[in-house]
Amino acid sequence: MYARYGTDDPIPERLNLIRRAAGSARYMALPALGAAVAAVVATLSRVAGPLVIREGVDGGIIPQDTSVITMAALVFAGIVVAQYVSTRITLYTVAWMGERFMMDLRTRIYAHVLRLDMAFFGRTKTGVLVSRLTSDIESLQVFASEGALAVVGSTLMVVTVSVALFVVDPLLAGLVMLLMPLLLFASYRFGRNSAKAYREWRGEIAKVLAALSENISGVREVQANAQEHRQEERFSEIEKAYYQKAMNAAKTVVDYFPRMDALRAVGLAMVLFIGGNRVLDGELTLGSLIAFLLYLNWFFEPIVQLANVYNLLQGALAALYKLYGLVDEQPAIEEAAEPRQLPSHVAGNIEVRGLTFGYDAEEQVITDMNLSLRAGQRVAVVGSTGSGKSTLVKLLARFYDPQTGFITIDEVDLRDLSFDNLRRSVAMVPQEGFLFEDSLRFNLAFGGEEISDDKLWEACRAAGIAEWVESLPEGLDTPMRERGNRLSSGERQLVALTRALVVDPPIVILDEATSNLDPETESQVETALETLLADRTSIVVAHRLQTARRADRVLVMQDGQVVEDGSYEDLAGSDGPLAALIRTWENSEGLKSGPRGGRPIESAGIEALGVGVDGEHLAADATS
Amino acid sequence: MDRRRDWSVLRIGLRLIASGFLRYPRLLVISILAALVWMAVTVVNPYLQKLVVDHAIEEGQRNLLVPLVLILLLAGLMRAVSIGWRRWYAFKLAYRYEVDLRGRIFSTIQRLGFDFYDHSSAGSLMARASTDLTQVRLVYMILPITLANIITVIMVVGMAFVLDPVMGAVAALTLPVMVGFAILYARKTTGISLQVQQSLAEMSRLAQEGISGIAVTKAFGREKRESRRAQQVAEDIFSKSMGLARFRSLYLPWFELIPTLVTLGALWLGGLRVAGGDMTIGDLVAFTQYLVVLYFPIRMTGWFFAELPRCSAAGARIVELLETTPSIRAPASPAPLAPRGGEIRFDGVTFGYNGQEVLRDLDLLIPAGSNVALFGATGCGKTTLAHLIPRFYDPTAGTVSIDGTDVRQLDTMQLRREVAVAFEEPFLFSATVAENIAFGAPDAELSQIVAAARIADAHDFVQSLPEGYDTVVGERGLSLSGGQRQRVALARAIVSNPRILILDDATSAVDAITEAHIHAELIEATQERTTIVIAHRTSTLLLADRIIVLEDGKVLAFGEHQDLWDNVPRYRQLLAEASPVHR
Repeated sequence: MYARYGTDDPIPERLNLIRRAAGSARYMALPALGAAVAAVVATLSRVAGPLVIREGVDGGIIPQDTSVITMAALVFAGIVVAQYVSTRITLYTVAWMGERFMMDLRTRIYAHVLRLDMAFFGRTKTGVLVSRLTSDIESLQVFASEGALAVVGSTLMVVTVSVALFVVDPLLAGLVMLLMPLLLFASYRFGRNSAKAYREWRGEIAKVLAALSENISGVREVQANAQEHRQEERFSEIEKAYYQKAMNAAKTVVDYFPRMDALRAVGLAMVLFIGGNRVLDGELTLGSLIAFLLYLNWFFEPIVQLANVYNLLQGALAALYKLYGLVDEQPAIEEAAEPRQLPSHVAGNIEVRGLTFGYDAEEQVITDMNLSLRAGQRVAVVGSTGSGKSTLVKLLARFYDPQTGFITIDEVDLRDLSFDNLRRSVAMVPQEGFLFEDSLRFNLAFGGEEISDDKLWEACRAAGIAEWVESLPEGLDTPMRERGNRLSSGERQLVALTRALVVDPPIVILDEATSNLDPETESQVETALETLLADRTSIVVAHRLQTARRADRVLVMQDGQVVEDGSYEDLAGSDGPLAALIRTWENSEGLKSGPRGGRPIESAGIEALGVGVDGEHLAADATS
Repeated sequence: MDRRRDWSVLRIGLRLIASGFLRYPRLLVISILAALVWMAVTVVNPYLQKLVVDHAIEEGQRNLLVPLVLILLLAGLMRAVSIGWRRWYAFKLAYRYEVDLRGRIFSTIQRLGFDFYDHSSAGSLMARASTDLTQVRLVYMILPITLANIITVIMVVGMAFVLDPVMGAVAALTLPVMVGFAILYARKTTGISLQVQQSLAEMSRLAQEGISGIAVTKAFGREKRESRRAQQVAEDIFSKSMGLARFRSLYLPWFELIPTLVTLGALWLGGLRVAGGDMTIGDLVAFTQYLVVLYFPIRMTGWFFAELPRCSAAGARIVELLETTPSIRAPASPAPLAPRGGEIRFDGVTFGYNGQEVLRDLDLLIPAGSNVALFGATGCGKTTLAHLIPRFYDPTAGTVSIDGTDVRQLDTMQLRREVAVAFEEPFLFSATVAENIAFGAPDAELSQIVAAARIADAHDFVQSLPEGYDTVVGERGLSLSGGQRQRVALARAIVSNPRILILDDATSAVDAITEAHIHAELIEATQERTTIVIAHRTSTLLLADRIIVLEDGKVLAFGEHQDLWDNVPRYRQLLAEASPVHR
């Protein structure tokens, strides 16, 4: 999220950016034309007002001709109607264009991001991505709804009023134009300085918020360590910096507006002095002078406006630049041009041939792997961290594509399968149960299309969570708030397992959770897991010995290769890698047989204590 | 009834806002004075123009032209200076008070007890110190100018009457309509904007969630449907924004049109009157100028009154937080703590959350220097019991005392420095590892930090971090694994060499061998320290010299494992329950 603040980099290719944005909004050409015409009419009718007044004064009031006065009033009324209608059309159309552009952009970017591959999500920080989709889009939105109109309207106004000034009196207009360089210089400086000052200020705001959030999250540590005073001192340092930057930003504003006011006063004095002399000398009519004075007011306002929206424009361009960078990311995993479908009944035979893969080109995580999994087989993959077991299951779910070799399901290459077919055939249950901030129903039915409540309840009963769901305040409608924080990690796992069960896939791929659970939840998770894995081809990355024991077949991985393959009994009996693994597991897990420990094999649990293995002995063993 | 509540909320909020003005009266006075000067000059300006037109030009008094124009120039420059002052002091007032208030909010939330945090969400606390505060700040920014604006509007009507009674009447009739219109407009826009804001927030939430949950979405191939969800929200934003645009396009032009229409009326009526000789041309010029001058103040005033209820509601929420009294307060004159020891005594302690009793009339004496474990079924109150020692909560009945002194009579800060707790889910601050370990003992030297890290078995992995002890961790730094975090937190707990050390399941994510190792080191390091261990793992249990068995809010038994095993059948049963046998 800090990317948004710190960047001082100039935005390259401003024109290209604008061209690209305009290109993507080509279908808005007609409304844009309409808005432009309306804006011109609105500006002209505003500008015409003083001219009519001039006519009224010079032709009606001074010669005391009431008919001219009435005429002028009527024309003025017509102008007012034109002004109202055209202003309305402008406001509405510009808003429509801006909002429509934003809607398309939001939809497009979000869909695009979801299509990107897991490798992309692996190398991109979540915070950065979220800020692309939220704050960057918002700064564009602010420009779309507030800045765009101001830019169009103010520019038109400056141009039209300048012309009007010259029409009324070229000499006076020339005089006013003498102020122009000063005006532009002051505005340009303000735009630049305030953009910088406000960016720095926003940086401080982010720091204040981060410090606050940190102290709220860590308040227990602060109190437990009696550090309230020191944290307050630190916070007040941060606040001081914040105040300083806020006042710096304020200073740019305070410098600019009085300068503009002073220039305006000088302009007015010049016009009145020289214009007044000209009227007295009979070179200018009084009406012209009055009209000129009215225009002068309108001349300064839009320039100030433009300086004000300069910030917004800068922010919008910077955001657009970053967003287009995101749009230009190409997904590495895409559906085949002519996708194949599996037959309606998927058996679930999996073949892996010559599979080689690495997250980056230099480092291979899996090297030349060959594997045949029969339909209905329950396979456990074990191995130490970094052995490639988690990578293997991700390849099986086509989160990544292999560098060489291939994987087939029922003899169809994963890369040829239609996405729909693949996802319906293979359910991947990620390690920790992620919950969406929606109802429990939404979360359970997430994997399928229009799942009935009956079906959800059926799955809940099968997974053994029906009672728990009934005990929730609103049953299936219970909201899972704050990213599922209200549920314990065990309950989250249960929901995640049930979610996969609802889809009823022929192949299940599961990366077992490693978190410690209390004994009751642990046994519930076991039940749900058993139900999910029964009668399916399943590949489970086992973090607990128990899971490996229950599998039909165990694959032991090491350095990206399968080093042992067979039934648990056979492998445990021999003196191979699995047997070695079991020994280290027993050593560590055997001790942590309590409720928070991983599921150990029975012989090394606390039950062992009951059958006479001396508890103190175990402890002493461990401490020595 | 609701209206009465609204009113009281408004009053509370306004009182908070007023208190800020009272705190910085100088800034407020300067800002208002500057605004008044600005206003006066703004009002006089058209009148001066009228004098130029009427006397110098129309009557041909050329000698008046130069002095009048000079006065006009001077007035314009005064206006420039005063607008600068007004803004500068309003900004100063607003930011000063914002920083003040946020400091107070910060102190308050730092002092609210564990019980408060058991029930409140971080999000709402953040909102108090950010969005609500910004709302209150808004009042400070715009109140001086609004006061000046209101006076301006009244003065202009007065001036109009002075210029010409008929014109004055026109103005007097138009202005209330415009102000009322401005308030209504601002209020309605705020309402619709809020709806748009809600949809925008929903979109952000969806994006954030979509990215965090990308693995699930991909695993089930739900990308398209999730995109559709986003599209729906995007369409919702669009339609609500267009509702706002429709409203704005319908009513916004009237702000310009009303003065224009009045100008029209003035031109017609005034023109006829000038023609009839009742009014000078200069009057007409001045009058039309006034209406232009008023456009902005009137819109601002309407906006201010539309925002005021929201600002005061935000203020009232801040007041509510500031007035929350912490449940745990240090005594006015704390008792001294006996020099060394670490004996902990519970006398008839009863405690519960939300009326549900967790501990019932519990008596317990933990001798100084002992190494005990708390054991019992899930939810039996182990953590609760431990949290009463450093006074994270106060018991409803009974006393907890350390070395003979009731903890409620001790200086809370001193107490908590003597009792260190390592939590199961520790929080690491966005700071270096060294700073995190030294969090409770800022003066600790690196050698002490390293020694603590060695005991907590953190030294090795810390050294392997990119910058060792200087590696920044936490939310904005390197993220450590659960076990690593726990070990850093453990080092933090022991670096200050506390009298009593509580390990609240503090090594749950560390493997059992390392855990046993850590415990051995801990016991070795300080023989005289009282150590209390809470653990779900039975292996951890066995690392303690003695075990306190809790059940039904009371101490069921207290003794060595072997004794309990032999003599307390319920202990054996609890141990068995803690590790269920599976198929």
